[in-house]
Amino acid sequence: MEGAVLSRTGFRRAVAACQHPAKRRVAQQPRRFFATPTDAQGRDEITPAPEVRLTNDPDQFSRSSTHADTPSAPSASRARGQSNRNTVANGRQYRPRDGGGGSGTGSAPDLRRLRIAPASPSYFTATPKYTDDLLMLSALHRRHQLLPILPPGQAPRVAWKTIDQYKTELAEPVRAKMYGVLVQLLKRLNYIHPSLLPEEVATALQGFKREVQPHLNVPKPVPVSQYGVAVAVGRRKSASATVHLVEGTGEVVINGKSLSEYFGRLHDRESCVWALKATARLDKYNMWVVTDGGGTTGQAEAIMLGVGRALLALEPDLKMAVRRAGAITRNPKRVERKKPGKLKARKMPTWVKR
Amino acid sequence: MRRALGPIDAATPFNAAPSASAAFSTSAALSANPPKKKGVVAKPAARTGRTLRLSKNTRTATARPPAPGERRALRKRVVLSNTNALEVRGLADLSTQNASRLREMGFEGQVLGLSNDSVDALRALEAFKATQGWSLFRRPASLIRRETVELAECMDGVAQQKHVERRMLFGERGGGKSVLQLQAMAMAYLRGWIVVHFPEAKAMTIAHEAYRPINSKDGSTAYIQPQYTARLLGNIAKANHGVLTHMRLSKPPELPVPVQSNISLLRFVELGAGDAELAWPVWRALLSELTTPSQEGTEGLQRPPLFLSMDGVDHAMRHSAYLDTAARPIHAHDLTLIRDFAAHLSGTSPLPNGGMVLAASSASTRPSTPTLDHVLARNEAAAYSPTYTTLLSNLHAHISALATAKDVDLSALHTLPSTPSTQIPATLLTQLKHLRTHLTSLARQNRSPADLLAALAAHAPKLPEWNPYLPLDSRVADCMASVTVQKVAGLSKAEARGMLEYYAQSGVLRQTVTEGLVGERWTISGGGVVGELEKAAVKARF
Repeated sequence: MEGAVLSRTGFRRAVAACQHPAKRRVAQQPRRFFATPTDAQGRDEITPAPEVRLTNDPDQFSRSSTHADTPSAPSASRARGQSNRNTVANGRQYRPRDGGGGSGTGSAPDLRRLRIAPASPSYFTATPKYTDDLLMLSALHRRHQLLPILPPGQAPRVAWKTIDQYKTELAEPVRAKMYGVLVQLLKRLNYIHPSLLPEEVATALQGFKREVQPHLNVPKPVPVSQYGVAVAVGRRKSASATVHLVEGTGEVVINGKSLSEYFGRLHDRESCVWALKATARLDKYNMWVVTDGGGTTGQAEAIMLGVGRALLALEPDLKMAVRRAGAITRNPKRVERKKPGKLKARKMPTWVKR
Repeated sequence: MRRALGPIDAATPFNAAPSASAAFSTSAALSANPPKKKGVVAKPAARTGRTLRLSKNTRTATARPPAPGERRALRKRVVLSNTNALEVRGLADLSTQNASRLREMGFEGQVLGLSNDSVDALRALEAFKATQGWSLFRRPASLIRRETVELAECMDGVAQQKHVERRMLFGERGGGKSVLQLQAMAMAYLRGWIVVHFPEAKAMTIAHEAYRPINSKDGSTAYIQPQYTARLLGNIAKANHGVLTHMRLSKPPELPVPVQSNISLLRFVELGAGDAELAWPVWRALLSELTTPSQEGTEGLQRPPLFLSMDGVDHAMRHSAYLDTAARPIHAHDLTLIRDFAAHLSGTSPLPNGGMVLAASSASTRPSTPTLDHVLARNEAAAYSPTYTTLLSNLHAHISALATAKDVDLSALHTLPSTPSTQIPATLLTQLKHLRTHLTSLARQNRSPADLLAALAAHAPKLPEWNPYLPLDSRVADCMASVTVQKVAGLSKAEARGMLEYYAQSGVLRQTVTEGLVGERWTISGGGVVGELEKAAVKARF
């Protein structure tokens, strides 16, 4: 009976493989992970296959255990798990007969009957380490899914490893979608309330985080002095500007000169006060600026950045408006260096035939 | 080897057909017809310049070249009206009636037009400049700002008390110095004064005009500019047509030609304008006529007040580009016209009928004039130093009455403006800020009031001093010694609003004039600098 079913499904697959490739997926079963719990199974019944340890028992591999290894026998699986735990408790590795104390029967293993079993049940998949990780994380999720979680958007920001980093580490062909599944699990685990986060979950998450966490770099807050002056520094190209922003009537002094004296170009003047203009605060503040380095445009845009930061120190609620105005983000572009063999950074010398 | 043979092969090809003229010759074709000696052919001229010769690089004369002076005329052309601009409804004119009552009638901060006859007079005086934005509007109009009202009040005082107001305007480029001068001219014209304006000192000193030495009375050599003087007389005649017609010569002039004894001043000036040779003696005679004291009452000789002005005075406060016979530069004050103006500006030549001498510096074509800069800064600081001293004495009285230094009230010092304004010059503002810092720190340390008084004494106002290691132009320093200097800074926000509303009504500003727009444009224009305001509001096309 069983063989008939198998042959029938096998036949169907063979037929499907010969059909049009676009239709081939239809025949496949919806993907299901090895450890995904189903209604038919109990919560704790499915565990990844334990590591096979060699014991002193000479007949440990002689038992016929084919039906016991199949996952379709829950009771056998549980029994095996327990027995394995016992074996692990007895001894971590194969020991010669003399050293063995517990089982008593101790004799040399019968090498003819010796079967070398893989450490992981995922050994025979294409991506065993990935599958192990997936199983481990899904087991953690299953185990702790009833723990309280943080409200959406409040989870601590974490930079997970990129797929390239992960692939390099594992040396396995992990596909983007597969890694996406993994990251989804990581994010779900990251949502567990930090005060109740189990140690094992924290340890597991640690392995998937990037070495450097950019989100931990918190910028130093801009102080506001007792006179209500916020001082912030902005940079652009090679120019830098220290901006002193204080409540006022829209006066601007840059290096001791007025705005129109310092910047002849109208566009540069607009750039200077852009953060204030975009938030309709131009006639509410006075600016006193010291700027140096770079050229006029660089200085003007450095001032823009400094004003944006100083304004946020005085009115933090304007953050989104200032960001939309583009007066928060530092533009990291610099002059590209000149290279040997080139006239400038990229310009090639004139091509001459001989 | 192959290369060497190449040309020979080419010269005598194996299949060269013998020419018809040498049918029986067996010699090679080329030998039979020896190559003719080339005559001396003119080689094309050696290439000049480094540009590639392409058809697109050669300039072709498509139209006739501009006639001499045509480009200059185009450059100097002043357009005073724009028919595309909207007519501003209810735009009042600056008139004889309101010229002396600007403040009472609430015109401060509003734009007033110029009547047709004032426009003609001002145009004759070359008071309008091509760089100003007159061509954007239907007809000439200008903003009545605080300085204008003050000038008008000053002119009222001059007319009543017959004294002379000698003043110099300076300030940032586009700040409105020339237009303020123009408004003063218009108001002087409306008041029936004689208006004499030197439109651009630069034109007199850059050696573009003919000049000639004369011996002046004190034995020194001065230089006259006959053609320029003639043109100036022409301008004066045109601008002051109405006033000069009714005035007659009071004393016989020293002229090389005979003149009718009771000729009207207008005719007399036109005489000088028509003949460059007569221009200089006519100018001298005119000036002495205009500075003859009027007789008491309404009978007899009557002379109105005189308004003298010069724009771009910086160029007249240094060496000119003219050279003397020893090829040394001539000081601008040795040019007679400038010497006359400088004498009136410094007060050495009196104006017995009263009047105003108004000089304006130029910030766009600014030459290096260290002496003038110093004198301007010093005079500006000196004008404020009484206020400074009063502030110090008030503080002195306040601190003397104190028991402890902690109770000191420095509110007078805390209300200082952050930037140098028309009221407080930069040097004294810095000193006041230092005083504030000093006193605040002493008060914080709770020192005795005597210490505070000592600090006050140490911060007496210090006027800028000339660097003794640099040569001082003593003629400029003497000329400017007693001149009132006035800094023309930016507009206030109310004035800027009046300006923007006028732009909007003229249709050149297509935005609603709101508080936000006014504040924004005011800041962008560097604190209400008029020229920049116009640039930001009208001329800029984003």
